[in-house]
Amino acid sequence: MDQKNAGLNISIFFCQQIDPNQDVNRRALERELGNRIRFFPLPCSGRIDSLHLMRALESGADKVYVITCPEGACHYREGNMRARKRVAYTQGLIEEIGLEGERLELIMAPAGLPVNIDELARDLLSSEATTGPSPVRGKTA
Amino acid sequence: MPAKYHIHTAQAANRFQLITRSGVIAWEEGCLKCPSCVKKACVYKVYEKRGIDSRQMLESLDSVCKDCFRCVQGCPKQLIQKGFNPSYKALGDHYWTPEIISGLWYQAEAGRIPVSGGGYGGAFSGPGFDAMWTDMSEIVRPTRDGIHGREYISTTTDIGRKLMALEFDETGALSVTPPPVVEIPLPLLLDMLPWSPPGMGIKLAILEGAKSLGTFAIIRQSDFTPAMKEYLSNIALYIDGQVSDIEPSVLSALRLIELPYSKEVIAAQNTLKITNSGLVTIIRMDLSPDSAEEVVRLTKEGAEAIHLVADEYGLEKSDRPLFIKERTRDIHLRLVEAGVRDQITLISGGGIAMAEHVAKQIICGSDLLSVDIPLLIAMECRVCRRCKEGIACPVELEGVDPVWGASRIRNLMAGWHNQLLEILGAMGIREVKRLRGEMGRAMFFEDLEKDIFATLGRRG
Ligand code: SF4
Repeated sequence: MDQKNAGLNISIFFCQQIDPNQDVNRRALERELGNRIRFFPLPCSGRIDSLHLMRALESGADKVYVITCPEGACHYREGNMRARKRVAYTQGLIEEIGLEGERLELIMAPAGLPVNIDELARDLLSSEATTGPSPVRGKTA
Repeated sequence: MPAKYHIHTAQAANRFQLITRSGVIAWEEGCLKCPSCVKKACVYKVYEKRGIDSRQMLESLDSVCKDCFRCVQGCPKQLIQKGFNPSYKALGDHYWTPEIISGLWYQAEAGRIPVSGGGYGGAFSGPGFDAMWTDMSEIVRPTRDGIHGREYISTTTDIGRKLMALEFDETGALSVTPPPVVEIPLPLLLDMLPWSPPGMGIKLAILEGAKSLGTFAIIRQSDFTPAMKEYLSNIALYIDGQVSDIEPSVLSALRLIELPYSKEVIAAQNTLKITNSGLVTIIRMDLSPDSAEEVVRLTKEGAEAIHLVADEYGLEKSDRPLFIKERTRDIHLRLVEAGVRDQITLISGGGIAMAEHVAKQIICGSDLLSVDIPLLIAMECRVCRRCKEGIACPVELEGVDPVWGASRIRNLMAGWHNQLLEILGAMGIREVKRLRGEMGRAMFFEDLEKDIFATLGRRG
């Protein structure tokens, strides 16, 4: 696979409402990348907490994505907005401890649900790499 | 009277957070920081004990929550909601439903029968085993104390060929040798799995489970390792290679062997008997529309036990498959017609997912059942079938601790055994052997539909 993020450990938290068939759709990538990619489905992206994001980085992820549903489409009205705030807050936290804020990124799924988590994730993987291996990796993982 | 069969159970904690039916969605932003927050008032201390399992990023919150909705109703800013968990709906498939899977998890963890407390809220009838109701006319009589205490209900089953009559010579001595019979305390064998992650842990857990239950685990000859020798009295060895490759000491210690069906299977059975006359052989074959005919033929030729295996969904091998219970009724009745039913032991497997399936399948004519996928589910399997596709198991079953796995299997089987006792008690039957083929004590939706509606609209 010719993604720029090749070799990096990626964690993807995503709102399950965006792809009802996510459990099947994500398998091709799980097979190709093994434990280098980890998907964490959430019942609503608003369930994301700084703790999740920190734990993901701590357990060796170089890059963590949070995919929310498109604006105005949240099942719980404002979960995606809240997810955005929490990602921003956590970016501040990790910058304080010397990690680049870009290691966390919030992505909003394109309008017109449902989407295919496989396509979305492949787009992310092939997007310009902004981060190298995390300095946390190797210490804990 | 022999001692009562009792399965020892003990709580065996989950290794992973459960996937629950619903989840808490709570917003932190906008919180008024009330001095008496509803979260602190939670009687189950759901919020206080909160922890994240970083392997799965699942929170303890949802597995501990008992759905009382006190926090949801109490928060003045309405920051707490509960919603259905899409991951729960994605568990298993149309047959291995999330409800079945989570019910099995509960039994494997607690060793107890799940009680909903809300009565039965399901459909009147459904496909497969749901289209069958058992007679519970004696339900008022036996108390739980009776069934599990004073009353003696036997779940013992025999595997082997039965003699129909004893013969004596002129001196009065028995002139026939009774064929060997293997007795097990509950009508269940632990079968080979249709799919599972690699590794010895799962197999050893099943073997250890079989040993502590006093039953047998079916193990492929090609999977047999010297480490399994200590379990020989609980192994039914499935021959997927050459019998000559089996060590003589192993062959003579085995009590059960399973042979794949072939035209020469009776000859193979007879050859095995020469080496080990105490051995009972089971013939394993796919359940199919031809099964009844084949089973009658094999029985007449001297087969001792036949294991008829349906697929994971309880369906026989055919373009228009019948469900396991229907085909078993057919086979049982054909054997009865041929006058040979009592000579043979019928074992059925495939699609046995709940305790009630055991009782229902026995009513349809099986002597005992084989269980497979529920053994994995007992060890937290989510029936995602990733292992079948070569993808990593989300609950890391390849590295399962056999001791923990065995205790989960034991707990689940104890739950099933207790439910079997409840059913037998409610039917007023004291022995599971007497339940076999008791179709008159059950109602079949399809038959009722035919009897009642088929004549409607017919003139004259
Ligand atoms: S959880 Fe999935 S991968 Fe693991 S054993 Fe069960 S079906 Fe296989």
